This record gives sequence, C-alpha cells and structure tokens, in this order.
Amino acid sequence: MSSTKEGLIGLSDSKKTFSFKGLFKNNYFLYALSLICFFLFWELVAVTFGKFLPRPIEVIDRVVYMFGHTLAGKTLLMHLWASLRRVFIGFAIATAIGIPLGLFMGFNKYVHAVVKPIFDLFKPMPPIAWISLAILWFGIGETSKIFIIVIGAVVPVVINSFNGIRLVDPDLYHVVKMLGGNHRDEIIQVSFPASLPAIFAGLQISLSMAWTTVLAAELVGAREGMGFIIIQGMNLSRVDQIIGGMFVIAITAWMISAVMTYLERWICPWKMQLKK
Amino acid sequence: MENAVKEINNFKIECMGISKHFGEGNKKVDVLENIDLQVEENEFIVILGPGQSGKSTLLNIIAGLEMRTTGKVFLDGKEVTGSGPDRGLVFQKYMLFPWKTVFQNVELGLKLQGISKTKRREVAEHYIDLVGLKGYEKSYPHQLSGGMKQRVGIARAYANNPKVMLLDEPFGQLDAQTRYFMEEETERIWQQEKRTVIFVTNNIEEAIFLGDRVITLEGKLPGKMGAIYTVDLPRPRNYTDLDFLKLRSKITDATKLVL
Amino acid sequence: MADGKSSKQLLKYLPYISVLCFLLTWELIVDLNVVPNSLLATPIQVVKLFFYKLTNIQPDGSILIVHIITSLKEALIGYSLALLIGIPLGLAMGWFTLAEGFARPIFELIRPIPPVAWIPLTIFWFGIGITGKAFIIFLSGMVPAVINSMVGVRMTNPTYIRMARTYGAKDWEIFKNICIPSALPMVFGGLQVALAASWTTLVAAELIAADTGLGFLITMGRRLLMPDMILLGMVLIGLTGVIIGIIVDKIEKRLVAGVRR
Repeated sequence: MSSTKEGLIGLSDSKKTFSFKGLFKNNYFLYALSLICFFLFWELVAVTFGKFLPRPIEVIDRVVYMFGHTLAGKTLLMHLWASLRRVFIGFAIATAIGIPLGLFMGFNKYVHAVVKPIFDLFKPMPPIAWISLAILWFGIGETSKIFIIVIGAVVPVVINSFNGIRLVDPDLYHVVKMLGGNHRDEIIQVSFPASLPAIFAGLQISLSMAWTTVLAAELVGAREGMGFIIIQGMNLSRVDQIIGGMFVIAITAWMISAVMTYLERWICPWKMQLKK
Repeated sequence: MENAVKEINNFKIECMGISKHFGEGNKKVDVLENIDLQVEENEFIVILGPGQSGKSTLLNIIAGLEMRTTGKVFLDGKEVTGSGPDRGLVFQKYMLFPWKTVFQNVELGLKLQGISKTKRREVAEHYIDLVGLKGYEKSYPHQLSGGMKQRVGIARAYANNPKVMLLDEPFGQLDAQTRYFMEEETERIWQQEKRTVIFVTNNIEEAIFLGDRVITLEGKLPGKMGAIYTVDLPRPRNYTDLDFLKLRSKITDATKLVL
Repeated sequence: MADGKSSKQLLKYLPYISVLCFLLTWELIVDLNVVPNSLLATPIQVVKLFFYKLTNIQPDGSILIVHIITSLKEALIGYSLALLIGIPLGLAMGWFTLAEGFARPIFELIRPIPPVAWIPLTIFWFGIGITGKAFIIFLSGMVPAVINSMVGVRMTNPTYIRMARTYGAKDWEIFKNICIPSALPMVFGGLQVALAASWTTLVAAELIAADTGLGFLITMGRRLLMPDMILLGMVLIGLTGVIIGIIVDKIEKRLVAGVRR
C-alpha cells in the first residue's frame, strides 16, 4: 500500500500512535470518506435540483420496482437476459470465426498476407458505425444486433489469436523436434497451449466489447434490453430509471469481467504466476 | 564390409570440417570455421569458449537444429540430418512446457514415440528419481527453482534413451552455489547412467570438473578449434585440488592470450 | 532458392492484390445484382456521393465539411479535456495517498459503466448539442487516461526513488522529477487507447441524437434509404479515426524523443 512512496521497506514507525495526519494517510479511511462525501453530495444536488437528479434512494427504489414490475412487457431480469442473450450468441459466433481465423493467419504467411489488409481496412471503424447498414439489411430485430456484436467482437479475438501464435518462443518448437515430434505434434503440443493465454486475453476484451456494442445497438433501436431501459427512461424523463439502468449495466459489466478473470486463473494457471 | 566401415568410424560422434555462416554478402557473419571433433562412446566432452565463440551454434548443428554450411556430422557412423531423441538436448533457458507438470514434461518424448502408458510411467518415474526430484512429479515448472527446472530438463532428455546428451550452457542462469550443486549432480547422474556427453560452457572450473577432455574454441568469431586438454584427474574431482588448480591456471592463461 | 525468391515477391504483393480483389468483388456483386443496389452501394457510388456532398447540402442539410468538422470538434474538445484532467489526476493518484484515497472510489464507481451507457443521461441533461457530446467523449477518454497515468507512476523504479531520498528530496520533488518522466511512456500508450474509446463513443452518440456529424450522416442514410450515404459516413469515420490516430502518434514521437523506456 502506497509503497511507491516508501521506496524503502520499514521506513514507517512501527509504533502505532493515533494522529489525524496518520488517519489521512490511510487509504481505507480515505476511501470511506470519499464515498460518504460522494453520496452526500449526490443527495444534496438531488434535493436541490430534483428534476435533473434523483436521490440515491429513489434510484434504488426504481431498480427494485423494475425487478418486480414489467416495462414494455418485461421485468428487469428479462431485459437483462435479452441483452445477455444477444451478447452470448454474438460472442459465440465471433469466437467460432475468430479463433480459427487468427490461428490460421498465424500459421500461414499467405493467409496472413491476404486477410490482414482487409482486416486493417475495417478495424478503424467502430462496430456501432455498422448499425445503419445492419438495420437496412436485417431490420430492427435480433439479427442486426447480433451482426454488429459479431463485427465488434471478432476483431480482438483474431488479433490476439494471431499474436498468440506469432509470439510463441521458437525454442519450444525445437524441444518438440528434439523429442521426436513431427509437424503435427508441434502444433498440438506447442502452438495451441502456448497461445492459450493470449487467446483468452482476446476473449476477455471481446466479451467486454460485445457488452458495449449490444448496449449501443439497443440504444439505436430495440424493444427490449438494458439499452432499451435507459433510452426509454430518457424518453419518459424518468432519470431514476436511467441511472438505475446504468447501475445494473455497470454491475453486469463488472461481473462478466470477474468471471473471465476467474476462468483465466483456472484455464491458464501458469500465466498468472508469470504476471507476478 | 560392415566391419571395415566400423573400424574407420569408431567414434560416437564425429565432426569433419564444420563451418557455418549466417547471412550473405556484406551482412555475412562467419560463426564457425573448420571444426573437427571426435568423441568416443561414453566420453564426457566439454566445449569451452567465451561468449560469442559459436559454441552454441556448434551444438545446435550436432543436434540437427541448425544446418552446417560445410562439413559433415556423424553419429555412430551415420550422417546426421535433422533433430531427434537420439541426441538429447538440454537448453540454457530450460524450455519446459509451463502448462505441463514435471511428469508430463519428462514423459512427452516417450509419448510422441508411441510408448505405452505403463512403460512411460515406469521410465519417467525412474529418471525423475535419478535427477533427485522424486515427489515433484505433479508440480508445475513455475513452482520450481532454477536448479530444479534444469533437472527436469535433464530427465526429459535422458528419458528418451539418447545416444548422446547435448547440454548447452545448462547452468548459465543459476547462481554460483546452485551451479556448484548442479555440477556435482551432473557428475553423479552421469556416473549412474553413463552416456556420451557434449557439454558447452564458458566456465573453466566447470569444464575441468566435469570433462574427460576439454576442447576450447578460440575467443572471437568465427570460432576456431583451440587447444584440447585431457583432464586426467580422478573422479569425482575436487575444485581445490592442486592439479585441478594447475590445469585451471593453464587454461585461463591460454584463454587470456587469445582475448 | 529460386522458389524462395518468388514466394517472397508473392507475399509482398499479396496484400495489394487482396484489397483490389475485395474492391472488385464489392463493385461486381452490386453491378451484377447479386445484392440489390437498394441494400448496398458500389465503391464508385460512394466516391461519387463524396464529391457531390463536398458542395451540396442536400439531402441532409449540410455539406460534407460541416459534418466532419462537427464530429472533429466534439471529439477533440472531449478528448483534450479528458487528457487535461485525466492525466494529472492519474499521475497524482499514483503517488499521493490523498489523491488516490479520494479519487479512487469515485473512479471505480464510474469505470464499469460503458461509455455508451452515459448517452441517454447526457442527452437528458444537455440535449443533443455539442456540450453533451463533448461530455460523453470526455468521460470515455478519461478512464484510460487516468488508469495509464496512474499505473505509469506506480511502475516507477523504486531504486530511483530511494536514491532521491538519500539526497533529501521531498515528496513533491520526487514526484515532479522522477515519477512523471518515468511514467511518460505509459501515459502516451494511454493516449491512443483514450482516442479510440472517444471516437467510438462519439459515433454512437451521433447515431442516436444529432443533427450534424458523421454519425448523423449514417443515420440519415438509413432514413432516406441511401446506402451510399451510409457507406460514405462509415468510410469517413474510419478514415478520420485513422488520421487522428496518426497525428497523435506523430505528436507523441516528438514529445518522447528523448525519453527512453
């Protein structure tokens, strides 16, 4: 904690004497103080400018309300599931296309030379920019949303899979050769496992990209989903719904990220050690 | 006819006129020049040279991981092409597979050869025990110290019953004390299961401690054959023995002259 | 060896061949009516529209340059603010307990919220004008800027810090003379990330509520059933993003000229 400053172990006095200065140097105290000030400030502004900002308690009320009651025919959880469902489908398709493509590009120089320039052409375009084209082609239904999610999610997967193969220590291939392995053994024994951490990192980025993209797509046009909840809140001037929706969105994003981190520890335990 | 051929090539390993260069034109780098080497069966040869003398390249050529520019390499009279488990290689950077346990790392070569599971278990466990890592079969490389990792590397190469063991500065990454320990371990392991060994190092003490013969490569690129010293001292050797120190002094002086 | 040479040549030209084939296929599938023109415009049509819109305010109400400038204005204002506030904040958070203690919880509350999720709230507060858009872009750029700056300071080599302390340097002096310079590489790394995030969020915001801007162009294209306008908008968004990225990269290289990793 705050060890950047120490630069020297054991610098602080081991005798614990209470002092206000010491209190203000304690991170946890400051965190708590900061949060309290934040919510107090929020409450103050909300009470003064009621129209623009609901009180924190009102936000919680609205979230609870949405759990139990329906909005355009669905409860909060159903909307959440609608968004997540789109994310999972899009993510699954992106992974099914992206990993093989990225690996193939990593193995084969010709495939790489053909695919990479087209990839680079499309990369600078934010996936959400495709939405109009997607709606023109597929209408406002599920397909257009999943289409955009796939476009957004596929990019990190391909890049990371490709890099995963490219950055494998070439000496590892020497080991397999020395042990009597053939070309196929090289791929199975080295290429796949060695690139796994990078591929997984790509999946993490891709998933969080998918979550952002689905929200954007729902903001533009949807009848259900978390994006729908907040845009409807805007249309009905229900700020408590907007903020409540944002709150649920944030928690979901956080949980997705936490699950992926946990999975990484399980799938690539050796990578975590290297990070230390 | 067969016997006659055997008479001429009765060395385990023979290198004739090995040269190697990288690059072309004005980017050409000569790494090795005219190396001739003969190694007898079960002999422990040390190739000694300072950094940048091409010794690792020479080992890679013998191992079949690199192609020589000119010359030939023979193993048991047959020319060497490509890599294989008959020449077990131990790398300086260990190069263990981090996603495999110690046991899985050691048994991999056998697995690739299609050997049955029970036989693999038997062999792998034997060699893990030989290098002194019994009980660590289920550990992962990241849980092991440098010295332990290298012992896994040795076991892994040994398990395939190689004709020759090739070690490329295997203790370069270890601290001084671990290094001494590993040198003694190497001596012990070799005494228990003798093989032909070619060991590359830049450490003169290490060379004298381990080698039957020490072949020096001269200091600057391209590496050329330097003096060959026969180490006549009884095994296991003693670093502070007078004869040991004399030889060490002799080699040190000779090396200084070139540098 | 002869084979090696010819395959090297092939590899060199393959990317160009690939892009050419791509453009050709694109052009042909519309011309040959494999895909109807109502759904997809040809590259040539997009280029035509580009030149047309340079001077013509039809059919969406502004000429091209107005759209581009609006988008750029919003992006740059938001982005600059994000850097101006985010970088010092992040640097301070990496070193001073007070800064980290206060700013961290608030930052951690804001961080998990995807920038696009701020759009409805922002529109509700600020309407669809420049202020609102700049605000969202500011938010989305601030997060990477803060994180990278903070991590940059945290990664300062402790040996330098100890050395400075032996000379009796005070906290602020160490911060100014050691931590900040050593954090610069990471800070600059954050610039590109912040830029990409800002640009993406801008596009999303313009798609939803705007009356000018490249994102608006795309939306109009859909409303008027003009795929060439949609594609023009998309291409320009991509191009502008790339150009800004290159400019930031050049500025970065200028500034980092002396600093070694």
